[in-house]
Amino acid sequence: MTDDLEVAPATTAKPRYQADGDVGLVTPRDFVHQQPFTFKSGQVISGFKLRYETYGTLNATRSNAILICHALSGDHHCAGWHSPEDKKPGWWNNLIGPGKAVDTRRFFVVCANVLGGCQGSTGPSSTNPESDRPYGIQFPFVTIRDMVRAQRLLLEYLGVTELHAVIGGSMGGMQAMLFAIEYPAFVRRVLPMATTGRESAQAIAFNEVGRQAIMQDPAWNRGDYTKETGPRVGLAIARMMAHITYVSDASMDRKFGRRKKENAPSDAYTFDVQFEVEGYLRHQGQSFINRFDANTYLYITRALDQFDLAQAYGSLERAFAPVEAETLIVGFTSDWLFPPEQNRALALALLRAGKRASYAELSTDLGHDSFLLESEELYSLVRGFLERDQPYGFDYEI
Amino acid sequence: MSNGPRITKSAASRLIEKRTVDMQIIGDWVEPGTRVLDLGCGPGVLLDYLVQTKHVCAVGVDLDFAKITSCVRRGVAAYQGDMIAFMRAFPEKHFDRVICSRTVQELADPTTVILEALRVGRSLTVGFVNHGFWKNRLNTLLRGRKIRNEVYTTEWFESRPANPVTIADFENFCLVKGITIARRAHLSGNWHTPCRTQPNLFAGYAVYDLARS
Repeated sequence: MTDDLEVAPATTAKPRYQADGDVGLVTPRDFVHQQPFTFKSGQVISGFKLRYETYGTLNATRSNAILICHALSGDHHCAGWHSPEDKKPGWWNNLIGPGKAVDTRRFFVVCANVLGGCQGSTGPSSTNPESDRPYGIQFPFVTIRDMVRAQRLLLEYLGVTELHAVIGGSMGGMQAMLFAIEYPAFVRRVLPMATTGRESAQAIAFNEVGRQAIMQDPAWNRGDYTKETGPRVGLAIARMMAHITYVSDASMDRKFGRRKKENAPSDAYTFDVQFEVEGYLRHQGQSFINRFDANTYLYITRALDQFDLAQAYGSLERAFAPVEAETLIVGFTSDWLFPPEQNRALALALLRAGKRASYAELSTDLGHDSFLLESEELYSLVRGFLERDQPYGFDYEI
Repeated sequence: MSNGPRITKSAASRLIEKRTVDMQIIGDWVEPGTRVLDLGCGPGVLLDYLVQTKHVCAVGVDLDFAKITSCVRRGVAAYQGDMIAFMRAFPEKHFDRVICSRTVQELADPTTVILEALRVGRSLTVGFVNHGFWKNRLNTLLRGRKIRNEVYTTEWFESRPANPVTIADFENFCLVKGITIARRAHLSGNWHTPCRTQPNLFAGYAVYDLARS
């Protein structure tokens, strides 16, 4: 996910965080699981913490909860503002809020930083109680299934007995599907966007370049570093490269073209930043290293690469066999990281398995990150999927 | 000549009646609780009707995002994409019935669609406007222009490409391809009462129930 959410300046006297349709100021909380947790790899930790946020209220029948699952570099802060001084809101603020497509007046929305993450949940940068030092690469290998199991424990703690829906883009979509597979009776609707049942060789290749950039940085030191001394160069390069895969040729061309930076050196024969796109990517890399942990980047990209529904269950149809939920898969035409074909394949496999599944494809030129797009069409689709709890009365409108 | 027939209010309500006319027939043919695929499902009206009246397990295919949104809002499962590619992703006889209602005349490759539909479905229901209907013939003969009426409301340059088909054409196609016609329903010009004589001339609408020989 890119850090590109741009927020329009406030047009009224109201502060942005109090704007209509906004969940406003939110405070993250921590869920602490104090029992041992066994990872899919067999490795065990004595307990874990998940940082999460909630918006809206759980109803009396505990049936209105929606879980939002974040992507590789996302976190639990998907809507609202942490403080009035924040420059931008949560990463899916355009979708989630009172009266928005995911309507927090109707639904109790939960989003947690994944296990293995670095935004407050237990991960490689957390302190290993056995050594009193950060886990580093002693942290157990994390899979998408481990992330899902940990979030399931959080939902139990919150008193959620069933999910009205689970929604996620990219890696969030993988978690959403796995939720419906692993806990069929718990999930009523699944809405994965811009996702895949398994990454292509190209997607794995990009992740590997990112990992190599980190691991070849001497400051990585086999994962043993402090926040101040980490592989900042390697992580920034990994991010710069990954960022390109989240957008598209057309969207980059529209945003930057071949424009030169204002203070670009007049001498063309230097390696200083000349093009705007170079400055932009460097900025992306720099802002990322201030908020993300390099080891988490290694762990989560590995989890992405190893996610393979067909291989894990024998076939996609077998993987989806237990699903009871209704599924809506959304693909985006310009997504070349998890392209429409891979999204379509999921819907087709669900249908072959005899499940209720829909596939919609939005024409955009924004690439993989299109799921974050401000699009009335997408909002209307998402709202239609979430809010139809009673069958519509039959009408003759065509 | 005028710009074609004006659509009056009563004509508009007749049009809606006409658009839903094959729903009852198809509804009668569909077995309760079966697996149904609708090719060119539009906003999902027919499937919604079949889900509610016959409790079928339904999925529609359409090319348009807004149509898929309408289906999703109705609670009808729908797939956005090419219908031939869709059907190729399914094994033989995956569906009990495939429906192609008022779609067949707009297909780029009707033969492939119909044969694929007969592969993935145990039966195929096709409904279409009969262009051999005497009024349609007369319309062309007298006006010398593309047919425009309460069903075909647009000028040629605003219309989707269409492949006008008649009952005689369709029956000949089934004969040539060795497709079994299990049932047929011919409706007269009002699209309501059955038409029993010379349907190619007197039927306004036709619905066929096909099976592989």
